[in-house]
Amino acid sequence: MLSTIDLKQIERKAYRSTYQDGLWDIYMGMIVVLMGLFLYHPESGYSAINIIVMVLLLSLAYGLFWAGKKYITLPRMGQVRFGPVRQQRKKTMAIILGIIVLIQVLFVGLTAIGRYYPQVGGRLFGGNDAGLTVVAAIASLFVGVPMLFIAYMNDFPRGYYIVVMMSLAVFLMILTNQLLYPAVLGILIIIPGVVLLINFLKKYPLHQRDETHG
Amino acid sequence: MDEPGSLHLSKFTEVDRLIHEPARLAVMALLYVVESADFTFLMNQTGLSWGNLSTHMTRLEEAGYIKVEKSFKGRRPNTSLSLTDGGRTAFQEYRQHMQQMLNELPE
Repeated sequence: MLSTIDLKQIERKAYRSTYQDGLWDIYMGMIVVLMGLFLYHPESGYSAINIIVMVLLLSLAYGLFWAGKKYITLPRMGQVRFGPVRQQRKKTMAIILGIIVLIQVLFVGLTAIGRYYPQVGGRLFGGNDAGLTVVAAIASLFVGVPMLFIAYMNDFPRGYYIVVMMSLAVFLMILTNQLLYPAVLGILIIIPGVVLLINFLKKYPLHQRDETHG
Repeated sequence: MDEPGSLHLSKFTEVDRLIHEPARLAVMALLYVVESADFTFLMNQTGLSWGNLSTHMTRLEEAGYIKVEKSFKGRRPNTSLSLTDGGRTAFQEYRQHMQQMLNELPE
């Protein structure tokens, strides 16, 4: 009997259950859709309004995610604090993500130099069409690599699907300048999230409970 | 003198019965792998009813195996559970004991 009890499996099941509400998927899907607004270049020229609208809507999306966790998930699922191994993993993730962001900032800096010195940029990225493909590929890697790392470190298998959709959305958006791609790919992330949320609400109803415990 | 590896049936009666009960074993196993969990989380993970979990929680608390902390999250009461050092040791000993006994059972 006991030889079949796998404590690691119990811990993993408990940990993964915290992602079963689908809220991460919905939130990530919304980010992909909103990224389209940021990357979109209207013919009239790129505008700061793109950034302002995106930041406002991203804040709204985060607010919805936070409210969902607080008012939907936690009262139904309860709260848990995982052991030191998971906590250490989160710290390691934060440090490595910080390093990745630093590298990205450095890269953006170099890109800016390339822009001010076109002869350098031209040598690096080649002609216009090839240059756009390279930029799109690099941008999708910018998004994909950290997300891949987050999915791995958080033991979040659906995260790999989100990474593929997200990277593809960025790549196609930059290459084609069509809002349709991030919108469709974002919705493809949101749909499984909504299905999970509905299942979660069915599986974990609010308990009419004795108020001595919570 | 006993042969090495021979099974002592008396070992079966030495098992910690408080942990051996399936519902309490589930609670102890879950609390062993996390730092702390609240009542609702434990109920969902173990599939125990409110009353059932409450009864087992009280027994484990009385034995000094778990620590129960009651607080308020906003206006809602919250009961947080975690293993005490004694509870952690007892669970480790229970595991070793059971593993050893099962390994000694003949095929």
